[in-house]
Amino acid sequence: MKKMRRFVGAQVFGFISFLLLWQLICLALDIRVIPTPAETIKQMLAEPRELVLHAGASVLRVMAAIAVSLAIAVPAGLLLGGNKWFRTLVSPFVYFIYPIPKVAFLPVFMLLFGLGNVSKIILMIWIIMFQIMLSVRDGVDSIPGLYFQVMKGFRASSWQTYRYLVLPAVLPHMFTGLRISIGISLASLFFAENYATTYGIGYYILSAWTKMNYPEMFGGILTLGLVGLLLFKGLDALQRKCTPWTAKGR
Amino acid sequence: MRVGMAPFVELTEIGIRLGGKEIFAGMNARLERGVSYALIGKSGVGKSTLLNLIAGYLTPGSGSLTVGGEPVNGPRRGTAFLQQELGLFPWQTVAEAVGMPLRLAGGVTDKKEIANKTAGLLAELGLEGVAGSYPAQLSGGQRQRAALARTLIGEPDFLLMDEPTSSLDAVTKESIQLLVQEQQRKRGATLLFVTHDIEEAVLLGDVIFLLEAGGGLSSRKTADFEGGTAREDIRFYESCIELRQWMNAL
Ligand SMILES: Nc1ncnc2c1ncn2[C@@H]1O[C@H](COP(=O)(O)OP(=O)(O)OP(=O)(O)O)[C@@H](O)[C@H]1O
Ligand SMILES: [Mg+2]
Repeated sequence: MKKMRRFVGAQVFGFISFLLLWQLICLALDIRVIPTPAETIKQMLAEPRELVLHAGASVLRVMAAIAVSLAIAVPAGLLLGGNKWFRTLVSPFVYFIYPIPKVAFLPVFMLLFGLGNVSKIILMIWIIMFQIMLSVRDGVDSIPGLYFQVMKGFRASSWQTYRYLVLPAVLPHMFTGLRISIGISLASLFFAENYATTYGIGYYILSAWTKMNYPEMFGGILTLGLVGLLLFKGLDALQRKCTPWTAKGR
Repeated sequence: MRVGMAPFVELTEIGIRLGGKEIFAGMNARLERGVSYALIGKSGVGKSTLLNLIAGYLTPGSGSLTVGGEPVNGPRRGTAFLQQELGLFPWQTVAEAVGMPLRLAGGVTDKKEIANKTAGLLAELGLEGVAGSYPAQLSGGQRQRAALARTLIGEPDFLLMDEPTSSLDAVTKESIQLLVQEQQRKRGATLLFVTHDIEEAVLLGDVIFLLEAGGGLSSRKTADFEGGTAREDIRFYESCIELRQWMNAL
């Protein structure tokens, strides 16, 4: 309980400092492009439904992408870590693709899958998948040989070795991969939502920009920040549940 | 078959090379059922290698190796190997770790029965207070006991231990030694353990094997020592001195 109160206190303190800093910048620059926190929040509260719909559309896209990415990337990462043959075959391809900023593939996906939701979600899958696949592979690589010997000593089947050794060992790495890729995927979604979108927080920000409605634009930016915060906090909570033995979990 | 006469463990003309280096050549040894063997010898002579061979983790290049009358190929049901680095998994609580071998073996499938058996053994080894703790939250002695519990839960008839107390302080060491002795005697299991500790060898070993480079084994019964073999015995240290003299003479 005490811990909880201190946690909430820290969050509130952080938020207030952020607003103060923002206010100071407004005062110092005194230009219309940067509205004050008060103006922005007033604008956000004026049409909350609209903002929630836009943010919700973005969150749904990210969630869908995460779900599909996990379904593909975890097995692929396990194979990459556990199967020499698969590794030799796939590694060069992975290393070639990995350093390319994935947003660069957006035009390709739009040509292949149209301008709608599918291409946006596939772009994010493309981003998240590689990160998670590599994290999971590194996770498998980092399992001490001794642990496999222990399982062998207990005459574990390969399914049991996955269940009791490989999967739990990989879980914290998977969370690390998710944490990295959520940041990148939000950034990329912002770009992707420029095209053929009616709902999405990226679209909301850019259309406010073209309308030169700066409080609205900042409201969007603030919301994007909140969405990110929500996703990260959600991920933290999930990790605490799933990996109680790690420092993050405890 | 000469079942009654056959030794529990028999190594005949065993040879093995590791990384191009000959470790043993023409090694012979016999272990009787229910007896406790201390394996001593200089660092690097191959004590761990011998344990790994008998455990079925390594395959000899030549010769034959049987345990319980059966040739060893891979880990045998009934042989439990406690390695020096323990190999407790960071993601398993003590109770989970100790229950795992039962789940792996598949003989006991009832969750309640597994929980009961685990709780019973934890209580026996003084671990009931830390059943829900992760290895990182345990002291060295608790960790050692947890790993010991994990090797004992499957009721093995053959215990292999590589320096089971080498990382412990003097007091904890004694408690673990007593625990090992008590469990081995109670279960009538055969014990083969590696140690660098003369006192431990005299205390826990019925027979002491002295291993020399190349695989030469000499043995002595501790009962034949002039002094006692129990720590309470004032002449315990005479036996230790005798062992030391024997080691130095060879
Ligand atoms: N995988 C390996 N490849 C090559 N050489 C090895 C390998 N494992 C062990 N050796 C060598 O085999 C010899 C015996 O090693 P082993 O670990 O069995 O010794 P030990 O008696 O247990 O030593 P210590 O008392 O230090 O634990 C050593 O010279 C070691 O260098
Ligand atoms: Mg060794």
